[in-house]
Amino acid sequence: MTNSGATGFNGLELHGLSRRVGNHTLVDQLSLQVAPGEILALLGPSGCGKSSTLRLIAGLDPVSSGDIRLGGRSITTLPPAQRQVAMVFQSYALFPHLSVERNLSLGMELRGMARAEIKRELDQVLALMQLQEQRQRKPAELSGGQRQRVALARALIRRPALFLLDEPMSNLDAQLRDNLRAELRTLLRSTGVPVVYVTHDQHEAMGLADRIAVLRNGRLQQLGSAETLYRDPANRFVATFLGSPSINLIERGDLQLGLRPELLELANAGSPVPAGWEALEGQLSHREWLGDRVISHVHCPGQGTLKVLSSEAFTSDTLQVRWPKAQALRFHARSGERLPGSSDPHTA
Amino acid sequence: MARMLLLLWSLGPMLWQLYSSLRPNEALSGMGTGGWTLEHYRQLLQSDPPFLTTLLNSVVVGASSTALTLALAVPCAYALSRLGRRQARALTALVAAAAAFPAVLLFLALLELARDWHLANQLLALSLPYAGLCLPLAILLLTAAFADIPIELEEAALIEGMGLWQRLRWILLPLMAPAIASSGLLVFLFSWNEYPIALTWLSRSDLLTLAPAMARIAGSSVYTIPYGAFAAATVLGSAPLILLMLLFQRQIISGLTQGAIKG
Repeated sequence: MTNSGATGFNGLELHGLSRRVGNHTLVDQLSLQVAPGEILALLGPSGCGKSSTLRLIAGLDPVSSGDIRLGGRSITTLPPAQRQVAMVFQSYALFPHLSVERNLSLGMELRGMARAEIKRELDQVLALMQLQEQRQRKPAELSGGQRQRVALARALIRRPALFLLDEPMSNLDAQLRDNLRAELRTLLRSTGVPVVYVTHDQHEAMGLADRIAVLRNGRLQQLGSAETLYRDPANRFVATFLGSPSINLIERGDLQLGLRPELLELANAGSPVPAGWEALEGQLSHREWLGDRVISHVHCPGQGTLKVLSSEAFTSDTLQVRWPKAQALRFHARSGERLPGSSDPHTA
Repeated sequence: MARMLLLLWSLGPMLWQLYSSLRPNEALSGMGTGGWTLEHYRQLLQSDPPFLTTLLNSVVVGASSTALTLALAVPCAYALSRLGRRQARALTALVAAAAAFPAVLLFLALLELARDWHLANQLLALSLPYAGLCLPLAILLLTAAFADIPIELEEAALIEGMGLWQRLRWILLPLMAPAIASSGLLVFLFSWNEYPIALTWLSRSDLLTLAPAMARIAGSSVYTIPYGAFAAATVLGSAPLILLMLLFQRQIISGLTQGAIKG
């Protein structure tokens, strides 16, 4: 996988990919690989360069420097049509004046494909996406979920060598999104091609992707499985971006300790602190009851409010919050870099 | 009630013309009670040249001006809407300035042109100045309409492998249909109503368009004002416009871009 040569690797490779517009660097020296059949999520806040990266791969924007290779050959300068990529847009970009059927078939028709073949492909993909009944409808007459399926179908029917998705779930309601995640994952996996999935939603990235690339200001922060990013973040940004409720940060001189809410324990104020543990005393400000868990917000004077995740609510209002010292993540206060010596909280 | 008043206010003049066109001259000048007559229409249709020729001339000029304007304005507007913001803004300001230019100042120069290039008494040649005068406005209207089409639609087509003409033909122009129809209608209306250029460029009476022809009817007699004939000409002259409006109103009103973007 570390081999960057033209031979061997069959998936998508980015080498030092950059895009600059004026003084702005939208994507900065991005290098990564996506294997065939693998789903890679590009995760980050808005403006982090994830959509820009997708547009570079699709060929919608010109590359400033670097190389994009697909199946061993460079596609950096090819026009979008010749890259064999399929893209699902955030807005779905369905052609509003055409029926579902024509939305899917127009590209093939214009490429001069035989009518019988088009019909066969159409029937197959419409059956797969359960859209047979909506064949003749216009996009305006479809529900949000149906529109998304049409957009996916339009991408699938091209039999692309690479699948790009730009926040395809962001316009669906939360319930539908949860239900669709597994379905979408199975579907994308079944194509057997590399999939790049852009999202700002950590749940989506964690639930769908094999690996996640976290971006910030156009730079790759960390690349790895959801578990690696969560348990062993490279820096404070990755640590705060993943996890819900988010990680607690407390100041220790020029250090910052990162404490996952589920790592913290509650005890009565003034309880003796066990050896190898550290503790803060505080006042309960409020509780969020989530059914299976409770988030207690504990105000600790001088340290702000800590979020503690526990299975049961603690009755007292003055509390001690404590944690095993060895399991706190340690970050450099100014740069946010992760410092060695803070061990993985879940392996200790 | 308020709606009825509004309707009366806007339709009143047209209905008055219709009424006048069907009344004999004596009744119109208050010297008799008359009754109803089709005499004015008969006169109009049997005059030399017949009024239908005039209408046909106007249709030819209107259609060719509209076609020429749209053929130039659509590509122009597409390019303007896809240019970088700074260049587009400068060019749009220029176009807007051209749209605001008082066309009256051009008449003498246009007359010179017509003489030098032998464009006088040629119906199709009239579409040159008409298209020239309508272009800026058409470009501005169409540019705004192009800018309203989400760029993702074109990008999706690009990824599908469609070339420029295919994107225009299959994606953009169908979505632009309402805007194109309404700009085209504006151009047609302009050339239908245009008077001074038509008056100066056309002298043969069988080539006259509607506006100068009607002026001739009005000035045909020294001693009487031919109210009836004039009203009949007005009614016949506006009939094609009303027909066009009815034909295209669905196009103009339709919200074709609905549902292109989720939400």
